[in-house]
Amino acid sequence: MTAKMKRTSEESQSRLPDNSALKQQQLPAYRLQLTATGVLSGFFATGVFCLGVGIILILSAKSIKEIEIKYTKICGNCAKLREDATNFDKECTCSIPFYLSETMQGNVYMYYKLYGFYQNLYRYILSRSNSQLLGTDLKDVGTCAPFSKSHDGTPIAPCGAIANSIFNDTIILSYNLNSSISIEVPMLRSGITWWTDKYVKFQNPRSKNLSIAFAGTTKPPSWVKSVYELDKEDPENNGFLNDDFIVWMRAAAFPTFKKLYRRLNRIQYFTEGLPAGNYSFNITYNFPVTRFRGEKSVVLSTLTWSGGSNLFLGLAYTVTGAVTWLASFSMMAIHLMLKDRKMFFIQQ
Amino acid sequence: MTVPKEMPEKWARAGAPPSWSRKKPSWGTEEERRARANDREYNEKFQYASNCIKTSKYNILTFLPVNLFEQFQEVANTYFLFLLILQLIPQVSSLSWFTTIVPLVLVLAITAVKDATDDYFRHKSDNQVNNRQSQVLIRGSLQQEPWMNVCVGDIIKLENNQFVAADLLLLSSSEPHGLCYIETAELDGETNMKVRQAIPVTSELGDISRLAKFDGEVVCEPPNNKLDRFSGTLYWKESKIPLSNQNMLLRGCVLRNTEWCFGLVVFAGPDTKLMQNSGRTKFKRTSIDRLMNTLVLWIFGFLVCMGVILAIGNAIWEHEVGTRFQAYLPWDEAVDSAFFSGFLSFWSYIIILNTVVPISLYVSVEVIRLGHSYFINWDKKMFCAKKRTPAEARTTTLSEELGQVEYVFSDKTGTLTQNIMVFSKCSVSGRSYGDVFDVLGHKAELGERPEPVDFSFNPLADKKFVFWDPSLLEAVKTGDPHAHEFFRLLSLCHTVMSEEKNEGELYYKAQSPDEGALVTAARNFGFVFRSRTPKTITVHEMGTAVTYQLLAILDFNNIRKRMSVIVRNPEGRIRLYCKGADTILLDRLHPSPQELLSTTTDHLNEYAGEGLRTLVLAYKDLDEEYYGGWAQRRLQASLAQDSREDRLASVYEEVESDMVLLGATAIEDKLQQGVPETIALLTLANIKIWVLTGDKQETAVNIGYSCKMLTDDMTEVFIVTGHTVLEVREELRKAREKMLDSPHAVGNGFTCPEKRPSAKLPSVLEAVAGEYALVISGHSLAHALEADMELEFLETACACRAVICCRVTPLQKAQVVELVKKHKKAVTLAIGDGANDVSMIKTAHIGVGISGQEGIQAVLASDYAFSQFKFLQRLLLVHGRWSYLRMCKFLCYFFYKNFAFTMVHFWFGFFCGFSAQTVYDQYFITLYNIVYTSLPVLAMGVFDQGIYTSVLTFFIPYGVFAEATRDDGSQLADYQSFAVTVATSLVIVVSVQIGLDTGYWTAINHFFIWGSLAVYFAILFAMHSNGLFDMFPNQFRFVGNAQNTLAQPTVWLTIALTTAVCVMPVVAFRFLKLSLKPGLSDTVRYSQLVRKKQKAQHRCLRRVGRTSSRRSGYAFSHQEGFGELIMSGKNMRLSSLALAGFTTRSSSSWLESLRRKKSDSAGSPSAGPDKPLKG
Repeated sequence: MTAKMKRTSEESQSRLPDNSALKQQQLPAYRLQLTATGVLSGFFATGVFCLGVGIILILSAKSIKEIEIKYTKICGNCAKLREDATNFDKECTCSIPFYLSETMQGNVYMYYKLYGFYQNLYRYILSRSNSQLLGTDLKDVGTCAPFSKSHDGTPIAPCGAIANSIFNDTIILSYNLNSSISIEVPMLRSGITWWTDKYVKFQNPRSKNLSIAFAGTTKPPSWVKSVYELDKEDPENNGFLNDDFIVWMRAAAFPTFKKLYRRLNRIQYFTEGLPAGNYSFNITYNFPVTRFRGEKSVVLSTLTWSGGSNLFLGLAYTVTGAVTWLASFSMMAIHLMLKDRKMFFIQQ
Repeated sequence: MTVPKEMPEKWARAGAPPSWSRKKPSWGTEEERRARANDREYNEKFQYASNCIKTSKYNILTFLPVNLFEQFQEVANTYFLFLLILQLIPQVSSLSWFTTIVPLVLVLAITAVKDATDDYFRHKSDNQVNNRQSQVLIRGSLQQEPWMNVCVGDIIKLENNQFVAADLLLLSSSEPHGLCYIETAELDGETNMKVRQAIPVTSELGDISRLAKFDGEVVCEPPNNKLDRFSGTLYWKESKIPLSNQNMLLRGCVLRNTEWCFGLVVFAGPDTKLMQNSGRTKFKRTSIDRLMNTLVLWIFGFLVCMGVILAIGNAIWEHEVGTRFQAYLPWDEAVDSAFFSGFLSFWSYIIILNTVVPISLYVSVEVIRLGHSYFINWDKKMFCAKKRTPAEARTTTLSEELGQVEYVFSDKTGTLTQNIMVFSKCSVSGRSYGDVFDVLGHKAELGERPEPVDFSFNPLADKKFVFWDPSLLEAVKTGDPHAHEFFRLLSLCHTVMSEEKNEGELYYKAQSPDEGALVTAARNFGFVFRSRTPKTITVHEMGTAVTYQLLAILDFNNIRKRMSVIVRNPEGRIRLYCKGADTILLDRLHPSPQELLSTTTDHLNEYAGEGLRTLVLAYKDLDEEYYGGWAQRRLQASLAQDSREDRLASVYEEVESDMVLLGATAIEDKLQQGVPETIALLTLANIKIWVLTGDKQETAVNIGYSCKMLTDDMTEVFIVTGHTVLEVREELRKAREKMLDSPHAVGNGFTCPEKRPSAKLPSVLEAVAGEYALVISGHSLAHALEADMELEFLETACACRAVICCRVTPLQKAQVVELVKKHKKAVTLAIGDGANDVSMIKTAHIGVGISGQEGIQAVLASDYAFSQFKFLQRLLLVHGRWSYLRMCKFLCYFFYKNFAFTMVHFWFGFFCGFSAQTVYDQYFITLYNIVYTSLPVLAMGVFDQGIYTSVLTFFIPYGVFAEATRDDGSQLADYQSFAVTVATSLVIVVSVQIGLDTGYWTAINHFFIWGSLAVYFAILFAMHSNGLFDMFPNQFRFVGNAQNTLAQPTVWLTIALTTAVCVMPVVAFRFLKLSLKPGLSDTVRYSQLVRKKQKAQHRCLRRVGRTSSRRSGYAFSHQEGFGELIMSGKNMRLSSLALAGFTTRSSSSWLESLRRKKSDSAGSPSAGPDKPLKG
């Protein structure tokens, strides 16, 4: 009897809710309060920070040397030729001389820049096969529509719209030592991709001979050469591992974009960078842009600690800092003005 | 169909029972019911419902289809299904289907699990009820059977204090003449005991063998929900006996003071009146739900607009640019024109932009509510130590609605009151007893009371009786004749029956708890009512037995409001003892001792001011001669054929005059703990409280006063008791006119309400400044609730500060709630404890059941259950407020973050040829809401803020990325890096926003906010890891992105700038708002801070002053007729009957007269079984 009583009392005791702070909603809490001192000092601090960063960014952006040459119009005849797709086998070259008034110190990077080319279209971005590019399954072209298979049903390698539309101009920079002798500026084609892209995302099929490995596939319709012929000298740069190919495959976010093409190899005359003088770009014009009213240009640029030219960020920081300071001064004014009134109100 | 919709129809037909019919799915319409006792084969052919009740919705097989069907009736679920189907169309799909199906399945599963659990508990409680044991007479012997196996036509035996298992025809009982007492509180809320009588032919069937041979057949009306009427006929042995409600025991009643009884099951299970009265379970929605649905619709409209803009953009782009771009990306085979492409992109954008209203919104809202309901369950302050019951949130979906309650509908008995009557004070010949004084002579408050009075001198005393004032006992002990006479009156003048099982163990069967309390008081003070016969009353007066000869009982009724007995004491002196309402009795007193009269009146006022129920006691000596003449006149009057009642009344009137005042009693109808305080607080919070009770008007009004709903400061208390439509209309009109004519009224030019369209009324009436209260009785309410008067009623009632509806049926309760719900558009809460409150609880937006009582129906129907009325305060004002605030902030924040998230796609559309390209990795899209919805957070924010944020989070990275390169010279502005940057800055901005909006930073907030950031980065790196890519190269295409992008200082600078620019204006705005226009809560908070510094002075609660209106009355829950019952000796045991001279009137004529009296009196729904409710 007593045992039973005890049990029932225990049972009923257990129905008593726990007295934990969580369950009783009495957790110790810190209340965020917008005090005048906190807010104003926060604003002033942010203002200082933004202004500082902004000025640093602007200064470093100013230190960058950059030169951009649009060559769609300059090479107008080539552009016209390329408008007709049937002329794909006719070579067209174009030379663009220019004068570099100042030495470009340090590392110099060469980019190609496209205007109005939409690499960010939904179907375009999807139109690639990562498993094919990984070299594991060359025939996996399922996600590559509308460039998955050729007319006779052979899978395309590399398949998809991105690969098919690869930028295929060749740009060679020559330096005119004097009026008669010009030398080709030594450029590195390696080291222009992400490590993860080159060593994780893109792999050639495992085989000694690439052309055999790619047997049973066909080249994309717009390509002149097969994928295993992209760089016959350097097997590390051939097939899917071709740096230019990898760079192109990393789709751009906006219709106007520049992609890294070559790095200056700082040897001979160029150990300090690109000396001032006369140069020319020798371009093999293959990539048609006038069809979609696009333009292309070639860009030479140096870098700073934060990367390439970034005036926008610097300006944005400076403006933000300035506005924050303005805001904090006006807020302080309003606060001081109201303080007397508020005290009066509370004392009542 | 819901209950309230059915109701007007039912009421309209109430007068004609045969036409009332019920659909029976298997059998068609039941015209009449036939049930033959002890003949299961015969009864089976009618396929009557069994006694098994089912409140559950599903079984294992039907669960999935039915539940899914129900869930897809939700607009949101169907919308997401539609989205899912859209996503399965390859031309349209811009997001993979799993972004929708994962959350959709999750939502459906969670809801299904919840529904399943709910239903499981319903099954369990059904099972529990269905398996209650009852004794069924099967093949000549009593067998224990669970309730569900009881069939129509079975004879079952009930024992004292058992619940009645089904609607029974009472056959016989342990009490003489087949009488049986029941308590119907569960059914109609009336607390007095009721008497039922078996029809004479069956009342002798006391033993099993005779009952087993009983083969009478009952033919009666089909099942209906009228609790107070029953018409049927019993055919037995070629005789035809009419049956009425007086012969019925209804399911839900409890047998009291009756050792056993036998009954024939007439209605079982769902056909019982109890079940017929319980409305169907209805899915309750909160106003936030509705708001959310409207919001979602608006947002959907907004979404369509954006979709149209983007689709037009797409068509133009495809026409201008896309056609030329076909060499690089030919159109899809299905697309033949720019226009069609635009059309497809519309749908694609609908899919992308649907993240504005993600399905997880619904999940998170449910999760938050679930959390809140757990907080309610866990609340220690809502735990009742006495009953050991914690509060229970039975519905998890209503928590924020609690903060919006405007009307509270409360039951009285068991909810506001404990239904315990306590003899608390009395006034004996001008001296008041019962106040407790402390040492210094001040009136002591509760909790500092001294020891209660010791009644050990009296061996017959009731141990449970407690009285605090020792001076009264001293007065009795010292032989104060007034005190003796006072208690003598209490021990003689009543209709209580006594039972003495063992020597000295007295049990009183009181018809009303008030009377019981008075007789018990007399018992403890040494005047023990011991036993009675029809002609005598034996009282132990201070230890010696005295037998009085009972000459007459002048019984109570509603008009007389008093009762008297005429007794002859052993010395032969005849004396009339009378007790009754002061208003009535004070006029009938002998005017000589003026002083005594005035002091007693003062005492009465004092008692009434404390909310006690008072009675005045008086006596009168009669001489033999006068009595003889009067007895003669009375006999004549009672034999009169016409207007017998009136003649009797005037005879009674004659003798009850010139009485000598003895004193007054004050009975406390014990309120539940903390009721007046709670009501005061709720009223302060502008919550209107209506009391809906089945009890009598006087009782209800009295309780209204004692719980401070009604006060004497009130300008006026309107009482509507009209019996006809016109009377009620007139009374309501007068009430309104008074309110408007009063000097407080604002609209003075307002003359006659009826001349104006009723729509104009509220504006005028709501401006009424005086404090009014409305008391309306059930029969008036029946008229007031008719379609043409309900608005008038509602307006009148809503202008009053307190409304009390008495004598209402369960369905009327629901009707009143429905009325307010429908026309006031306010959130209603109904609180009750009994089965009679079930329909009201189900109708109201929020139903609260008082748990820990005997019956559990109310709790089962309720959304919240706790054991004390006072917890309502915490439920509404603490939990309700908190959950409402949290929910609002959550919703604002949720919409903010999703707008910020989604609008980025919109801006990106202008840069990607409107090709429905998403900005983010689709995993991020899927996870965004899942990771963040685990934060039940406080937030403030509006849509435009969301758009503002989206502009910044898109365009700042855009500006930066357009030019910038990585620090190794390679391209920065690739799509994937951009996606990561925008997503990261969005997550950080949104987290900072949450941090700003979090009112109180607890450990949990820290955990969730930092945790969600950590989880974001963890998931980001995991999704972009080599391992996942190696396994699923086509799914995880962002490999290496996180480490490459987030290693760039430019990216971090961009994120920092975005965050700063997004957050600074918000902080500045809030800061300025705080300084310029502090909100109420800000001011309170600030002044609290100031107060704290100034050492806050204590605010004393204003003591409620004593008031002076008098609310006296005879034991109100008393029913007349018992006096006659006693004098006729009907309810005496046979043994005691043998001693007494037996009455000559047959029992059927007694019943006749009882019934006639009842239908004449008051005409309340339960009193007039044969009287249609509408004239």
